[in-house]
Amino acid sequence: MPMKTPSQTLAEKIIERLIREGLLTAEAAKTMLPKLTEGKLRAEDWRLPIELAVEMEPKS
Amino acid sequence: MSVSALKKLTIEHLRGSVASFTLPFEKGKKLMVVYGENGTGKSTICDAFEFLGKGKVGSLENRGLGKTNKYWHSVGKKPADVSVTLETLDNASCRASIAKGEVVACPTDLRPRVEVLRRSQILALVEAKPSERYAAISRFIDVSGIEASEATLRDLIKSLTSSREVAIARIQENQDAIRHFWETAGKPITDALDWATMESNRDLGSLDAEVNALSTLQNACSRLFDYPARLKSANDGVQSAKSAVLAAKQKAQESAQTIVADAGEILSVLQAARSYLHKHPSPTFCPLCESKEKVQGLGERITQRLTSFSGVQDANAALKMAESALQRAEQQVEMLSEQLKNQLKEFEKVVSSFTWSADIVIPKMPAPEASLEAWFAEVSAFQAGWKNAETTRRDKKQFTATLKLALKTYNDNVQAQKELDVLLPKLTQTLEIVMEERRNFSDNILTKIAEEVGRIYELVHPGEGLNKISLELDPNKRASLEIGGNFCGEKGTPPQAYFSESHLDTLGLCVFLALAALDGPENTILVLDDILASVDEPHVERLIEMIYAETIKFRHCIITTHYRPWKQKLRWGWLKNGQCQFIELSKWTDQHGMTLIRSVPDVERLRLLLAETPPDPQLVCAKAGVILEATLDFLTQLYECSVPRRSGALYTLGDLLPSIDKKLRNALSVEVQAMDASGASIYQTKHLTPILDELIRIAQARNVFGCHFNALSFELMENDAICFGQKVLELIDALADPDAGWPKNDKSGKYWANSGETRRLHPLQQPK
Repeated sequence: MPMKTPSQTLAEKIIERLIREGLLTAEAAKTMLPKLTEGKLRAEDWRLPIELAVEMEPKS
Repeated sequence: MSVSALKKLTIEHLRGSVASFTLPFEKGKKLMVVYGENGTGKSTICDAFEFLGKGKVGSLENRGLGKTNKYWHSVGKKPADVSVTLETLDNASCRASIAKGEVVACPTDLRPRVEVLRRSQILALVEAKPSERYAAISRFIDVSGIEASEATLRDLIKSLTSSREVAIARIQENQDAIRHFWETAGKPITDALDWATMESNRDLGSLDAEVNALSTLQNACSRLFDYPARLKSANDGVQSAKSAVLAAKQKAQESAQTIVADAGEILSVLQAARSYLHKHPSPTFCPLCESKEKVQGLGERITQRLTSFSGVQDANAALKMAESALQRAEQQVEMLSEQLKNQLKEFEKVVSSFTWSADIVIPKMPAPEASLEAWFAEVSAFQAGWKNAETTRRDKKQFTATLKLALKTYNDNVQAQKELDVLLPKLTQTLEIVMEERRNFSDNILTKIAEEVGRIYELVHPGEGLNKISLELDPNKRASLEIGGNFCGEKGTPPQAYFSESHLDTLGLCVFLALAALDGPENTILVLDDILASVDEPHVERLIEMIYAETIKFRHCIITTHYRPWKQKLRWGWLKNGQCQFIELSKWTDQHGMTLIRSVPDVERLRLLLAETPPDPQLVCAKAGVILEATLDFLTQLYECSVPRRSGALYTLGDLLPSIDKKLRNALSVEVQAMDASGASIYQTKHLTPILDELIRIAQARNVFGCHFNALSFELMENDAICFGQKVLELIDALADPDAGWPKNDKSGKYWANSGETRRLHPLQQPK
């Protein structure tokens, strides 16, 4: 298996943390990971998954 | 996937390899030291690895040669003749050659990963500009993809923050506008927004219907109002036509009285006569009565009579026309009257088709035919009211629409602000996490590298306090790496400013090793070309020990050196030779190119000399004497024995042997590691006393046989000479392990041990 690039390793850490913090759903994270690694995330690619995660937050 | 150990490297026509040169790798040894004087081909071996692994020849770079590939092949050969082949123990191989100016390795999947550090490059990373330093380690910390995504997120937050500010401003603007409308409307209820909501929910359809009905009413009315004028004009026309008929009749009667009763028949006769006279202009008699009387001037008289008849004709035609005009005028009046009736019906229909508000005054319907003029006058007075009513309703509609828009904009912006109030903190938290993780990631890697550099550095310069190396990214510059050291308690000082050249060399080597070890070392062949050149003598041994320790992580390590003491230390087994293969290059010739010398350690040479049949006493004693001197030198220093102090510190056996006094001799013993029948490790104790006693007894054999021409040797037993050699070999075999070196480590606190404790020398200190 080829070695991971630093961007790949870091992207995985970031995604894991964002899921843990409830800022991202696991489903959205799958789509987001490669784009985050390659620097191809557009503004809406950040906004929509976070809006989705906010919507799924339990209402207090 | 683990890669196979190396078997041999064959170099053909690359640089100094004018003839095929093969470098064999010893099984089980991952470190190869290639020793050779200058110009023996050491760098060609390094070039060959670089050619194979990286497709270039780095030793020629930065020499002002420009593009160097025209110098890669040996003199007299062509680029196509160059070939480097690496074979591995699993019988696989990879060959690199030059095709179309490019280095091609085949098969590519077996191309080895190679890292080469040359003497000339050792300071490159330490002394490089921060950006170049960053470039060298960017493969470990380059997260430009993440940085680009982070920048997008930062821009999004900036843009949404700005949108939120705009939304807040709009909310205020629309609140003011609604308040203004509310005040204009006379503050019908206490809350302006509640009022605006109520007003906005009002149905604008009824207003539209009223506006449309009023518009239709006014249009119908204006169409109706055309008729009075048109009717008057038509009646006037009838009166005029009647007057014209009377006048025409009068004129026709008057014309008729001027002519006879049978004027019509006479007119026909006269017209026929005029036609005849037109054809016969000069008749001699009357064509009607054939009389010649009055024939003179007949034509003129006929014309005169016909003229009096045309006046009657014209009067009759004019009368006819006047009568026709009267008829048309009367028809016009009749038509307009009919149209007016229809328009009145239409108007009545418009009036009755809508339920008018109380403020709209509607005329009585149907319009009374008898007093139509008065009715029109009454309706005319209502028209201004209808216009006003329409304008009021249109204004009301516009007002409500504007209010509705203001309320919608207000609500939209309130909603937008609410959403952004929830979203923005989440996005900001996300950005903070991304930044924190990125910084931690880079810091962790840099700290790991720095600690590794410091750890390796400490192995060479223990206790000097220079091992606190730091690597830091400059937060104000993109891709810029600063290196710092700890000098006299001052942290973060640039090593280039305070470290000696030797210390910098060590640091450069440590940085290189730390980076190479970070990137899959088990797959990497490490090549260190002549890196010991500037290291000062006290540190060389530790540096070599450090290299031994560190290079074990790599697939293989090749070190070239022209440092002669290393060769000698290896010969004497002073270094841990277990993992090290020693290769010596002989003088390079243009005929044979590079060649290897089999280098045999002195102990092995003595063993071979003793194994000869018969052994040569002179050679045995000479070699054994040198080994015994080395052994006694080691023991006397280890136990701090008293030896005569002399300038130059050259000690002979006569000085060294007596200094191992009887107490020490009796105490000296070595535990030699061996294996029992089951293969388990055991220690067998070997007392050195009998060996040393015997050596004292026959030590003179060395001088007699081994050093000089001496007639005394004729009288001595050759057996003593051979015995001297055998005892020296027995002593050195007990004391030193050819692979694991001499027992120089006292960390056990009980004995001196060599690497791997294959030898344990007792006692730890000289007995009192």
